[in-house]
Amino acid sequence: MLATSRRTAALALRAKPTTYIVPLQSVASISTTPKKDATSVTPHSSTGLAHRERKEVPLPSQVPKKGVMQYALTTLDQITNWARQSSLWPMTFGLACCAVEMMHLSTPRYDQDRLGIIFRASPRQSDVMIVAGTLTNKMAPALRQVYDQMPEPRWVVSMGSCANGGGYYHYSYSVVRGCDRIVPVDVYVPGCPPTSEALMYGIFQLQRKMRETRITRMWYRK
Amino acid sequence: MSTITRTLRNLWKVGVKDAWHQMQYIGDTKAGTLIGTDRFGNKYFEDTEELPLRTRWVDYKVHDYDAAQIEPGWHAWISYSVDKPPTQDSVLAYKRREWEDTDAKTIPNYTLTRGAYKPYNTTKAKVTAWEPVAAARK
Repeated sequence: MLATSRRTAALALRAKPTTYIVPLQSVASISTTPKKDATSVTPHSSTGLAHRERKEVPLPSQVPKKGVMQYALTTLDQITNWARQSSLWPMTFGLACCAVEMMHLSTPRYDQDRLGIIFRASPRQSDVMIVAGTLTNKMAPALRQVYDQMPEPRWVVSMGSCANGGGYYHYSYSVVRGCDRIVPVDVYVPGCPPTSEALMYGIFQLQRKMRETRITRMWYRK
Repeated sequence: MSTITRTLRNLWKVGVKDAWHQMQYIGDTKAGTLIGTDRFGNKYFEDTEELPLRTRWVDYKVHDYDAAQIEPGWHAWISYSVDKPPTQDSVLAYKRREWEDTDAKTIPNYTLTRGAYKPYNTTKAKVTAWEPVAAARK
């Protein structure tokens, strides 16, 4: 609480003097709502979570290899990652118009089969879930259940504005504001809807993420 | 779909070194004319004898390549949006705007870096945890 009040005071001191907005006040008087500057808004002190100190941990891709063992295990990881990224079986969670673009990815023009991507209807046989479209409150438990049914090395691609953050339906009473509230998302593909090319580019990014995965090396370090 | 004769013919045309490089990156041997190079060092080729939509291709500069490393004008050319490459069309050619940085961005995509998007919340939480604060002794 002390820290909050101090921050508020500092913000108040830093706020611009009101002489700047005097010429605008004639227009502002038309409005019935009281004028509230953005700088005068106090930030929320409690976000529901205990305050934690920010800790900078290097990303796994930023840690260099050292020692013979890690170099040897890198090769093992490369083989595993190659196998994983070259047979990516997506669980299609097509919910809206994004699903049509997702279908275009499987048609001959973009031809996902050449990348080893085959749509699976069963979550128990799939590696990656492509959430394509608006996720509603009613669908959310089903999405989570399907995600829980997928076997362990699993990834999620959030496709389109609606899946990323609610998008057009962000203020709707029945829509989840982003599927990352339900499942952990690896790649966000922006667009409304994203083109098939954009989704393919997102899949390439996911493959890049898989390439950087260090399975045996992390096990060795522990 | 490439036939063995075509692969060997292109290998004969481009040489062993280039053919090896192409097999590593494109997965096919291709022989064409060099149309141009963008400011990132990516090389663009064309061979009109190929099948449609396979006539233009790019040889990336870096190993960990990414489609976003293609320059916008060249992207239009390689996606068959325009006929003329940026070397012949001054509208598509790269010109540095005033608001642009002087250095070319070599990492356009921030996935897997510190700049990657992380979801965050801007609204007040519905549940607040109790933060114990001891009153200062007087």
